[in-house]
Amino acid sequence: MRYDIPKPLRQVSMVLDLNKCLGCQTCTIACKKLWNTDEGTDYSYWNSVETLPGRGFPAGVHDPATGGRTVEGGVRRGVVPNLDTAYGRAWTFNHEEARASAGAPDKIWIRPRETVKWGPNFDEDQGQGDYPKDNHYFYLPRLCNHCTHPACVDACPRAAIAKRREDGIVLVDQDRCHGYRFCVEACPYKKVYYDHVRQVSTKCIFCLPRIEEGVAPACARQCPGRLRFVGYRDDEQGPIWKLVEKWKVAIPLHPEYGLGPNVFYVPPMSPPKLDAEGRPTGEPRIPVSYLESLFGAAVHPALEALLAERARRRRGEASELMDLLIAYDWQQNFRLPPRQREVLG
Amino acid sequence: MNRKILLMSAPVAMQPGGYVPVAYADRTTPVTAAAEIAVEPGSGGWRVTLAWACPQPVRETVRETDRFADACAVFAPEAPESPWMTMGAQGLAVQGFLWRADRPGLWAIRAEGLGTMQRSAATGTQVSADWDNGRWRVVLSLPEWPALAAQRRVALAVWRGGAQERAGLKSVSAGWVDVA
Ligand code: SF4
Ligand code: SF4
Repeated sequence: MRYDIPKPLRQVSMVLDLNKCLGCQTCTIACKKLWNTDEGTDYSYWNSVETLPGRGFPAGVHDPATGGRTVEGGVRRGVVPNLDTAYGRAWTFNHEEARASAGAPDKIWIRPRETVKWGPNFDEDQGQGDYPKDNHYFYLPRLCNHCTHPACVDACPRAAIAKRREDGIVLVDQDRCHGYRFCVEACPYKKVYYDHVRQVSTKCIFCLPRIEEGVAPACARQCPGRLRFVGYRDDEQGPIWKLVEKWKVAIPLHPEYGLGPNVFYVPPMSPPKLDAEGRPTGEPRIPVSYLESLFGAAVHPALEALLAERARRRRGEASELMDLLIAYDWQQNFRLPPRQREVLG
Repeated sequence: MNRKILLMSAPVAMQPGGYVPVAYADRTTPVTAAAEIAVEPGSGGWRVTLAWACPQPVRETVRETDRFADACAVFAPEAPESPWMTMGAQGLAVQGFLWRADRPGLWAIRAEGLGTMQRSAATGTQVSADWDNGRWRVVLSLPEWPALAAQRRVALAVWRGGAQERAGLKSVSAGWVDVA
């Protein structure tokens, strides 16, 4: 018995330009401090930023074996990630022991008490390739995609997850949730987290109290790279529509799962590989085949459009696309008319 | 009454949503093949004893994301027609008690169909649970239970956490069990 998931009146959306991400994790901390400081969510990051190529967060997230969808979009049994080997435990440290040894001849270094197996962005800046010929990496910030066909909604036997009618934000009703974790298992993006103390699922709420007041989510608003755009998908004057529909340079992550993500990425361009003599070859360092494994075939025309517009700008010609992506006026990255405004008396 | 009840795998095809029925379509044989049940009048209420084989118990789940606890439930129909297989139906509720190995007490449960179970603290109850030699033995000391007193029937369910059983992934009695 599949659920009938009604189409929302509007869909709020985010575009992230991967050419500009610094990997600074300001977004991660902005989100974590705002929403996820409870003991049972210590390990979880509604917003995470991972180095790719790499194993991601949780480890193996880009491996089709972990998600509850086949690459043809069918249902398959997914995996609930392990706290040690996939997420990484929120480690505790031997601060007292280290401090007590400060004056002693044998100093004890600060180290985690637990055996470290994995953690968020654990393979930071490792990437792939050989320096200086073709070494490469880029950062992939990830949050819940507030999917059009959410696997998490489909997976919950208690109908505790729903898509909001007003803006398509996908929310867990924690009063209904019994902590069965089918949603964690089914989401191929692994963006539902289990609060192991309160024993309920938790996930990104797209900062809905801010959205209702016309303020962008904390991850987007605090991003020093100015690479996040937020608005509604049907707003033809807004950045989302221009980047996704008009210029078609913003594309979803793992479209093969068929969930219809509403978070989109401008794929990373990369400098050329060098030949044996150290001369540029014209071939991008980040293999396009690798980008295709993440973003599907749409990455080819998206990269072509980006390169063509960049060349146009270099020739001194006007480019709406480049002006938009450069984000001269950062406030223009967000087009979110307030739906209601709370006035505190 | 002390009876051995053969259990069946709760049919996953009936589970709400599109995921569980497909992802767990292979769960056709019960993880727990049988359970013993004794339902006896106790002091002002009932004493229910459930016992079943469980080779590796799971008692602790805190600080883990992928661990599920062993559990069992016993429930009775509120109305003569309350269906057991679907945990009741709208207007035809079932109600009873749920024990989970990672919690100290019992939950009182009530449901009107799959996915509708409400849990609340079961006041006036006591539970003792022991795992020994590959078997769980759970003794529920219950207060007055009008549904059982009226209908004289119960159904039971057993979840093996080590096999990732939770929610509709469970071994259940193949119908109501009459209580003398
Ligand atoms: S990304 Fe995962 S958690 Fe978010 S809506 Fe899609 S399926 Fe649900
Ligand atoms: S805050 Fe912006 S630049 Fe920094 S990691 Fe997040 S998305 Fe990248």
